[in-house]
Amino acid sequence: MSNIDTAVSELQAKHLTKHFKIREPGHVLGAPKVVRAVDDVSLELRAGEVTAVVGESGSGKSVLARLLARIVVPTSGELLVRGTPLAAKARRSLAYASDVQLVLQDPFGSMNPVHKISHNLFRPLSIHGASKDELRDLAGAALQRVSLDPPERYLDRFPYELSGGQLQRVSIARALCVKPKVLLADEPISMLDVSVRLGVLNLLRGLCDNEHLAILYITHDIASARYLAEEIIVMYAGQVVEHSRGTALVDAPTHPYTQLLISSVPDASNPISAAPDAERHNSSSFAQQGCRFSTRCTSVMDICRTQEPPSFVVGESHTSKCWLYRDRPEASVELAIPKRRGEGAKGRK
Amino acid sequence: MKTLRIPRSPKVLLGLGITVFFALLTILGPYLAPFDPNDTSFAPNLTPSWHHWFGTTSLGQDIFSQTLVGARATIVVALVAGLVATMLSMVIGVSAGYLGGVTDDGLSLLSNVFLAIPGLPLLIVIDSYLPVASRSNSLVIGLVIALTGWAWGARVLRAQTMSLRNRDFIEASRIIGESRSRIMFAEVAPNLLPVLASSLLFTVLYSIGAYVTIAYIGLTSTSVWNWGTMLFWAQANNASLSGEWYWFVPPGICIALVGTGLALLNFGIDEFINPRLRESGLTARQRRRRGLPRRVRLGLTPVLRPLATETPRSIPMSEVTS
Amino acid sequence: MSTDALRMRGTKDLVDTATNVPARSERILQIDDFCVDYGVGEGSVRAVDDVELHLDRSKVLGIAGESGSGKSTLVYAFTRLLRAPAVITGGTALFNVGPSEEGGPDEFIDLITADEATLRRVRWQQVSVVLQSALNALNPVVRVGTIFEQVFKAHRQEMSRAQRRARAVELLALVGLNEDRLQRYAHELSGGQRQRVMIALALALDPQLVIMDEPTTALDVVTQREILNELTELRARFGFAMIFITHDLSLLVELADEIVVMYAGRIVERAGGRSLYHSPRHPYTLGLLNSFPPMHGDRHELAGIPGAPPDLSRLPSGCAFHQRCPYAMKRCATERPPLVNLAKGGRSVACWLHEGGEDVVVPVELRRREPSAKAGAS
Repeated sequence: MSNIDTAVSELQAKHLTKHFKIREPGHVLGAPKVVRAVDDVSLELRAGEVTAVVGESGSGKSVLARLLARIVVPTSGELLVRGTPLAAKARRSLAYASDVQLVLQDPFGSMNPVHKISHNLFRPLSIHGASKDELRDLAGAALQRVSLDPPERYLDRFPYELSGGQLQRVSIARALCVKPKVLLADEPISMLDVSVRLGVLNLLRGLCDNEHLAILYITHDIASARYLAEEIIVMYAGQVVEHSRGTALVDAPTHPYTQLLISSVPDASNPISAAPDAERHNSSSFAQQGCRFSTRCTSVMDICRTQEPPSFVVGESHTSKCWLYRDRPEASVELAIPKRRGEGAKGRK
Repeated sequence: MKTLRIPRSPKVLLGLGITVFFALLTILGPYLAPFDPNDTSFAPNLTPSWHHWFGTTSLGQDIFSQTLVGARATIVVALVAGLVATMLSMVIGVSAGYLGGVTDDGLSLLSNVFLAIPGLPLLIVIDSYLPVASRSNSLVIGLVIALTGWAWGARVLRAQTMSLRNRDFIEASRIIGESRSRIMFAEVAPNLLPVLASSLLFTVLYSIGAYVTIAYIGLTSTSVWNWGTMLFWAQANNASLSGEWYWFVPPGICIALVGTGLALLNFGIDEFINPRLRESGLTARQRRRRGLPRRVRLGLTPVLRPLATETPRSIPMSEVTS
Repeated sequence: MSTDALRMRGTKDLVDTATNVPARSERILQIDDFCVDYGVGEGSVRAVDDVELHLDRSKVLGIAGESGSGKSTLVYAFTRLLRAPAVITGGTALFNVGPSEEGGPDEFIDLITADEATLRRVRWQQVSVVLQSALNALNPVVRVGTIFEQVFKAHRQEMSRAQRRARAVELLALVGLNEDRLQRYAHELSGGQRQRVMIALALALDPQLVIMDEPTTALDVVTQREILNELTELRARFGFAMIFITHDLSLLVELADEIVVMYAGRIVERAGGRSLYHSPRHPYTLGLLNSFPPMHGDRHELAGIPGAPPDLSRLPSGCAFHQRCPYAMKRCATERPPLVNLAKGGRSVACWLHEGGEDVVVPVELRRREPSAKAGAS
């Protein structure tokens, strides 16, 4: 575990928003519908720490990863690398690519089936400056860092000859070839066999600790987030609904959605015999007005349907976006990102 | 490196055999021909005999030699045309599919125009504008044919590229910082190999037809022997009316055979390029002997017992319970 | 080919004293010595090896395993739905189709040797399947209502159009969907809704056995919970038996009466849900249970299982798991342990640890990490 006071901020997002305009089939005229995929999300990734983003499909977590990777341009909001803001609407540049890398979910889909593993490692090395003679050695070193040893056994293979777990490790090795500061992992273990998942999670943890990477771990499985991360963010309908350091939000969830999520996780030591409290939701769209969870929330109040709640501070380094806590202080962006001791007016904006 | 694999399907083997045969003919034809095809010293209109295997023309030329020598020009032109057309369709199709936007609109418009214009008339028009000297140049003819034959392949490749564009491994290449042209031609294109190979085969097929047609019409120079020119002369001398079948049948059959060979080869492409698709297991006869159905039907998983016959027996109750 | 019908009596051989008629058998499925290969001859791979399974009325059998375990192959094979190049190479799958005449004994049919006509009678009316990815299973160019129509037209020709529609609405209501879903296409529904439609379709003809192949894997955890609860309610109401295939062992502990753990095509452990969780007997089961990070307690590093699931075409000698097993002995590398019944409780294990020898104290209690709400789990 790293010490929040000394951890270096590698990548910071402030008020990131991404809206997509889509035209419904059959509605050619009139205004296109706006999908608020990511709405006002702020977070910070620090060296030597894993930050987890937990959400269902449709929560916006994958779009968030792509916004942070800069392969999608945000509608508004800003990104800061080590405190320095980046040009607003620019796309991903080569310099950024050498700092921030992304690992995708499907291990078999992430590798071009017609090329050998070595090709997949040589390319990033070449692009980022390695000379031809160094390629094989550097690629071998990268494979060793992800525990694929001896590297010769893997370099000349094709993707179909390796297992899912091995391919995911190759994906991580490929990302590491450019020596990034930040590693964004979008559901890296969801498509792996159960017995292999822990190995990859432990690998990520090891990379974080030993190489001081800043890791963003996106998942729908809150148990693995709890296992791996220093900080957990829960997303719903594109917004951050709860955010805490450590395991506070898993041990004592405050937001009704987090509570629903945690009670739904199959827990063999504590089997649920009764149905959970939330109503069965038949619509797959979120509430358009007020709190987006209001259509499914069992603690819903009148204000929830009309006004969107801000984030409230509900504990030390623990915020919750719910009207249930309206008597608590509101969290500003700076509070959402825990303040470092000794940083006052100077420092980050 | 992928090792060469002999395909097992009889269709493909036949196609391969035919293609190899004509490939050899292309190379060796002129050397194997017993006489000079231009030589008019023989007796005219002879039916096939031991001396002249395919008989002679009205001018006294040996048809067999003409067929052998004609193979080269026909096939070379078709090959050149096929290769150039496929290259063109790949560059245009992949660029349109990958780059999208205005580039895609423009290139698609171009392909659609070329698709809409009927190929043969276009060919004839372009050809008639060519200076007479280049009409004997196989390369030029090949290029002209290619110009009319690339559009269909471009459309197919564009569609395939568009489906590949959003695949994870392409996104991964973008993420590591690969340049667009490298992604298009080093990452996307190799995945299109089966389609490209198939496209090549069919474009060569088309090109043979196109070449023979314009030769038949008389738009190419008659100094270069090819099967189309043979048909031209046969037609000019009313061979079909005079019952001289041995004049136009050999070139006709050769054209048909090459086409058949290429089409049969197409069946084997997937199997050849992707070794994982090979059908494992037994030959048809072995399957039959073991009682396996020839064709496996959906919903009826085959059951393979050891070869001893089994009669149903009643199972005592004690064996059912557990 | 004629139907291979094997007549037999109820298992308990009970006779109803009032009517002097044999009571119905409790067993609805009995699979023995089942083997499935992929490919034939040289280069063939054994995907399911010598499996024995049984299922009683209204019970839930959970089959847990990872890729290469053979769990899906097994189930699709005995329903004859497996595609080429799979071939069934041995065994029987006896299915109870009920009495052939009123008041008679239950009749069992061997699905392996059954012909197409018999299979068609059994399929969907007696046995139905809910597939893993409903988006791939539902016809994308047809409305949901039409899919129901097709099912009824195929199996219940006597129903009128109005009756078919009424039944479809009834089925959708059972799974909590509004009748307007009938007008939609599959892609217009969410993942959870699609899976519910599949469940409704599976129950359409009131089958005895519903097979679920990883029905909730592609869904998020909240929807998964809802669907599992619905399944429990439906089972209580209709009394169908269920075979539930999954890689998530923790789901089965809650859901299944009996759990079977498969590895490399064979069964390695069989036990009731709770006993499997609290005292696993096979090191693989223990490893699997330890691969799920707990939701409570101190955070510490978990080891999981080293290595990777095996390549079926290159299985190691002896026990297929021995290279990954922390308890491996010398014997494990050379001899393959058979599945044996343990002393009590209807459990069986395929592991040399339970044969004794080499300083192993039988019964073997594998160390199980119990997650506790308080600190200090070790």
